[in-house]
Amino acid sequence: MKSQTFYAKRIHPLVFMAAITIVCILLTAALYLMTRERVEKNELFFLRRSVLDAASVVHGGDVESVNTLYEAIVTEQGDVYRVATPTGDSYVKIFKGPGLWGEITVLVGFEGDLKTLSGVSVYAQSETPGLGARIEEPWFSQQFKGKEGPFSLVEEGTASSTTEMDSITGATRTSDAFKNIMNRAISESATLRKGE
Amino acid sequence: MARTMVKKTFLTPLGKDNPVFVQILGICSTLAVTNKLANTMVMVLGVMFTTALSSWTISLFRKQIPTRIRMMVETLVIATYVIIVDIVLKAYNPEIWKQLGPYVGLIITNCIVMGRVEAFALQNKPSLSLIDGLASGMGYGYVLLIIAFVRELFGSGTIWGYQVLGAWWTKWAIMVMPPGGFFMLAIFIWIVHEGVLKEGKNG
Repeated sequence: MKSQTFYAKRIHPLVFMAAITIVCILLTAALYLMTRERVEKNELFFLRRSVLDAASVVHGGDVESVNTLYEAIVTEQGDVYRVATPTGDSYVKIFKGPGLWGEITVLVGFEGDLKTLSGVSVYAQSETPGLGARIEEPWFSQQFKGKEGPFSLVEEGTASSTTEMDSITGATRTSDAFKNIMNRAISESATLRKGE
Repeated sequence: MARTMVKKTFLTPLGKDNPVFVQILGICSTLAVTNKLANTMVMVLGVMFTTALSSWTISLFRKQIPTRIRMMVETLVIATYVIIVDIVLKAYNPEIWKQLGPYVGLIITNCIVMGRVEAFALQNKPSLSLIDGLASGMGYGYVLLIIAFVRELFGSGTIWGYQVLGAWWTKWAIMVMPPGGFFMLAIFIWIVHEGVLKEGKNG
């Protein structure tokens, strides 16, 4: 009798918990394995789309067209992506830097002279939605095309020269962080063709 | 009798016992994800899925779960469903998944889920618990969607990402920041309590 209460009190909860833990882990692990391939494909698609965006190459936006185009015109040289565009090769590299809340990962593209920017694409960020997160919006990233930097910030919508960039109203810290990443990328741009 | 019970279980969380504006639960995510309608919708669906199925699962095993470890079991079951939501979203709608960031995982800490399991599912049949969980998720959901609608409209001038207010509109930056969520939620709770729930209070 006593041993039974001991079992019910001490052993049974342990066994029950262990059993339900195993069931839950098996469930989630199975689901993870089932979707892993898809998740990896998504990641690759996002990266490839960003590379094309940073080289300002027009693409269809869907998985198939991005992959076909990427495989046709992009060569990976170490950590630099060389993109063959109609107007000459562009060089794209991943740059990271601290944002307001977390790391910002940006793909910066340079034209053949390694001075003129071919484009910029934000790959990952965790800035405030609606404010700092607007660095992901096209109007923001497209402003860099054709500019040279190093950049100084001006009020949203007023950038005119090749060394000015629009900041985002209400997201001063994010704008500042982004400017720093851009300027670091520009200062390192001369090294991008070393792989050739 | 059974039908009135089902109806009552379904309607209570939507109205007079709403998890957000009456019980004041799940406030964290109410403030965090309501600055864009599309994100809010995904969050709401995730919470509905989690509350409904975790209530159902716990209710199914309510007689087998040892009382001493019931909270551990509940947390584990809830976490499992949240991870399912997270993995499915990551695989099939990665754009939204990226935008919601850590908030999907944080459904685990949404008090509504645990609250319904503790308060309802442990005492009731699985089918009724499923309805209760689903209705609680919906009660949470429509409040969030209303708040998100106002915040996105005033804060970004858009509805569901589409521009509805022209360039003349000065965006209220505060609306998309966390304080905007506080203000909107407080105003919403105030309006509901003053306008809708008033007569019930005196009684």
